[in-house]
Amino acid sequence: MTRPIRSGELPSHEEVRGAVEAVLGLDGADGVEVVFSSSSIGLTRFASSQIIQNTSRRELQATVKVAVDNRIASAATNQLHQEHLLSAGARALAAARCVPPDEEWPGLTSPQETGSPRPIERYDEQTAGSTPLDRAARVGTMLAAAPGASVAGFYETGSHAYAVLSSKGVDCYDRFSRCAATTLVDLSGATGWGEGSSHDCSVLDVEHVAQTAARKAKTSSEAIPLVPGRYTVVLEAPAVGTLLEFFAYSGFGAKQVIDKESWLAEHMGERAAAPSVTIADDARHRASVGIGFDFEGVAKKRVVIIDAGRVIGPVTDRRTARALGSVSSGHASGSDEFGPYAFNVVMEPGDKSIDELTASVTDGVLVTRFHYVNVLDRPLALLTGMTRDGTWRIRNGQVAEPLTNLRFTHSVPELLGAVTGVGEELVCMAPEFGSFGSTAVPALASDGFCFTSTTSH
Amino acid sequence: MQQHLHQALDAASAAHASYADVRIVVTAAESLSVRGPRVESLDSSEAIGFGVRVLAGGAWGFAASQSLEANEVEVVARRAVEVARASAAFTNRPVELVDEPVHRDSYTTPQRRDPFSVPIDDRVGLLTSATELMMKTPGVYSARGAMDLLRQRTYFASTEGALIDQTILQTGGGIEATAVGDGEVQSRSYPGSSRGGFNTGGYEILQDLDLASHAEVTAEEAVALLQAPECPAKVTTLVLDGHQTMLQLHESVGHPTELDRVLGMEAALAGTSFVGLQDIGRLRYASEAVNITSDATAPGGLGTFAYDDEGVAAQCVDLVRDGVLVGLQTSRETAGKIGAVRSNGTMRAEGWENFPLIRMTNVNLLPGEGSLEDLLADVDDGIYMATNRSWSIDDKRKNFQFGCEIAWEIKNGRLTRMFKNPRYTGITTEFWGSCDAVAGSAAWAMRGTPNCGKGQPGQTMRVGHGTAPTRFRGVSTGVSR
Repeated sequence: MTRPIRSGELPSHEEVRGAVEAVLGLDGADGVEVVFSSSSIGLTRFASSQIIQNTSRRELQATVKVAVDNRIASAATNQLHQEHLLSAGARALAAARCVPPDEEWPGLTSPQETGSPRPIERYDEQTAGSTPLDRAARVGTMLAAAPGASVAGFYETGSHAYAVLSSKGVDCYDRFSRCAATTLVDLSGATGWGEGSSHDCSVLDVEHVAQTAARKAKTSSEAIPLVPGRYTVVLEAPAVGTLLEFFAYSGFGAKQVIDKESWLAEHMGERAAAPSVTIADDARHRASVGIGFDFEGVAKKRVVIIDAGRVIGPVTDRRTARALGSVSSGHASGSDEFGPYAFNVVMEPGDKSIDELTASVTDGVLVTRFHYVNVLDRPLALLTGMTRDGTWRIRNGQVAEPLTNLRFTHSVPELLGAVTGVGEELVCMAPEFGSFGSTAVPALASDGFCFTSTTSH
Repeated sequence: MQQHLHQALDAASAAHASYADVRIVVTAAESLSVRGPRVESLDSSEAIGFGVRVLAGGAWGFAASQSLEANEVEVVARRAVEVARASAAFTNRPVELVDEPVHRDSYTTPQRRDPFSVPIDDRVGLLTSATELMMKTPGVYSARGAMDLLRQRTYFASTEGALIDQTILQTGGGIEATAVGDGEVQSRSYPGSSRGGFNTGGYEILQDLDLASHAEVTAEEAVALLQAPECPAKVTTLVLDGHQTMLQLHESVGHPTELDRVLGMEAALAGTSFVGLQDIGRLRYASEAVNITSDATAPGGLGTFAYDDEGVAAQCVDLVRDGVLVGLQTSRETAGKIGAVRSNGTMRAEGWENFPLIRMTNVNLLPGEGSLEDLLADVDDGIYMATNRSWSIDDKRKNFQFGCEIAWEIKNGRLTRMFKNPRYTGITTEFWGSCDAVAGSAAWAMRGTPNCGKGQPGQTMRVGHGTAPTRFRGVSTGVSR
């Protein structure tokens, strides 16, 4: 029996090692791998200018993968104690014995294959240790930035730890902290948006986040509809981030490329985007929040997906790397069904301010962010979604009248191929769902963006 | 477990919470995925944890932990009160709960066969018998099968005296064939996309799906889609199958009638609703052919239970009657805002670690009359779309666009040529106002979507929808770019 982990703290590397030691030697198994995750999160939500939900939670999970020859199965527990881990191991062992052999399985990672991952340790003690009162104070700052308006959003602080250990000697551990804030300001139906995220709460300016939302709301009243059609757009970073998240989801992984479900599959090596577009997955980038290894224990490499407009290639795990005749880039997602995943997408910034991007547009649309985006066609990377919380017409380089929200139906490659300018500021965004990963993007301008319908607000 | 429940409530009361409830949740889940003859993943999980929800100073606090050890239960209960007191500094209106009878009861999902007791090789065989058949169809690139089992036991207690022991069992799965053409991928699934069809109940749900007997046509349709013409862009009569009607109902009726959205509580993430409090009893939401309920008592739905996650008994209430909005989905905190004296029992949380939110239980479109063939027979020129592929709707739940896996042209009351990439778009009340027929009971089935996202931290909920094929007039299809 290992000692209980104290309330609120994340298990250390040593504590994880001690807990999983027995299951790594599970009788009857040819190999055992444990993927461990733990988090301690406080999240305060507000709406109608008051706190409506306030939560504090601590959770962990250990997934035990067992191999019997090349038959594999896994079982998870949320208790970091030997008896629970051994029970999970026994369940996985029994299941592995029942499944057909997996001839394509590359085996458990050997220490030589890992690339000796170094932890990134993007961890800030103050952020990790924030109290409910600390969060309430930040929320108070955000509410004060928009007096007289209806203000909604959240402020979150937390810490996260991950480890991969195996019977073959893989042994890695990393942790990060994260704070994130969003603010929606509603002035009689005219809304504005601000958001920010960092591993360090001292650099996240929540007042600026809220003031941005308030400024947008003030200039969004009396919006009018726009005739659907193709327009030059200036997309602010939150809008770009959402599109690139879905682009990554729909095809930055090698399994999707192999299955020809990814747009990358048919365009490798082509110069398909504007020269100003470089997109990579890079967990070690200064703007990213991530860990130094993947869920097979392989060091995360920087993988350039699009380099100055040229399509380079997807991220891989060991299974897909073998199929492609390469080595893993360190992007195993933990799901053999989904395959490798780009968790830390970074688009390189350019040299334009948002005002300069706007000034470059004679007739177009400025978009703050998108809502409820979804994939219509994976190989085309064709997406649909709505604008919200700040959409304006651009006339002669100036932000003009506010617009009611618009539905777009447009492919991301077409957007990237028509980029005419890239913003200088890189904005880090937390994932909308879940706590793992980040997206760091600038604003951009692009021609011929397709709006297909409008709505009345 | 009762000892832990009382520990938590006593600790919260000692810290001067005016109300507290605690849920201890014990979960077992298994997920199986196959591709052709190969098992792609076989994962199981067991989890236990608890969440304490309190009112202190008129504000909510919530804390949760997976550890039931030592003094952790008391520490977490006190932390929930600490969180509530921090909230109270920025709470303008104290939370007030409407009354609910105190329930001391137990419930277990009716089932014929425990799916967890079925040998793994039998379960693998049920899927691979279908996927191997699909792979025999020329042109099929991949054939996948999926099966998910979930058993969740919840022990609920409150400072009002409630004590509930409830076990929910959910089972489901399906198959999908994919064909790959020149820069194009087409998929067909059965009985639905997103890993198949899901209900509450046992292994009989999977056996009744009879996956193998649907393998061939599923595979053939995937291959045929590669050669099919694009769905045309026009304004026409649209008939939706039960699966797509489910998603249409989910996004454009289920979510906008959640009272927390109406009140603005979800504004920043998922958005609000075009529905206002003044619309109850007045808003013509749909045509007179449309009747919609929120029904946690309906057999077999993913939202079927005896008590919600704040201890309110399951109920069936009308949301839309003869096309008019007559009700909203409520909680004990929000019901009073519309003058109700009781919550209609829709508060649900994902696992032990989350704060309960208003979530759809089973939002059902009540059956009309006739069969799918009867609906088609009254269409001279139109499009029939089947099986949801994509969904998107604006932040007030008005402007939507859906994509389906497959469509057929309707000519003179009969299905003719196949279309690929079918999409349609509309505005919620106009669209439902154009509904002139819902098929009858024989075509009606309880379906489920296992991946409904809401809240911060994000929670995924399993939601039921009873639907039948449905017909709409004057719909814009084949969205052009």
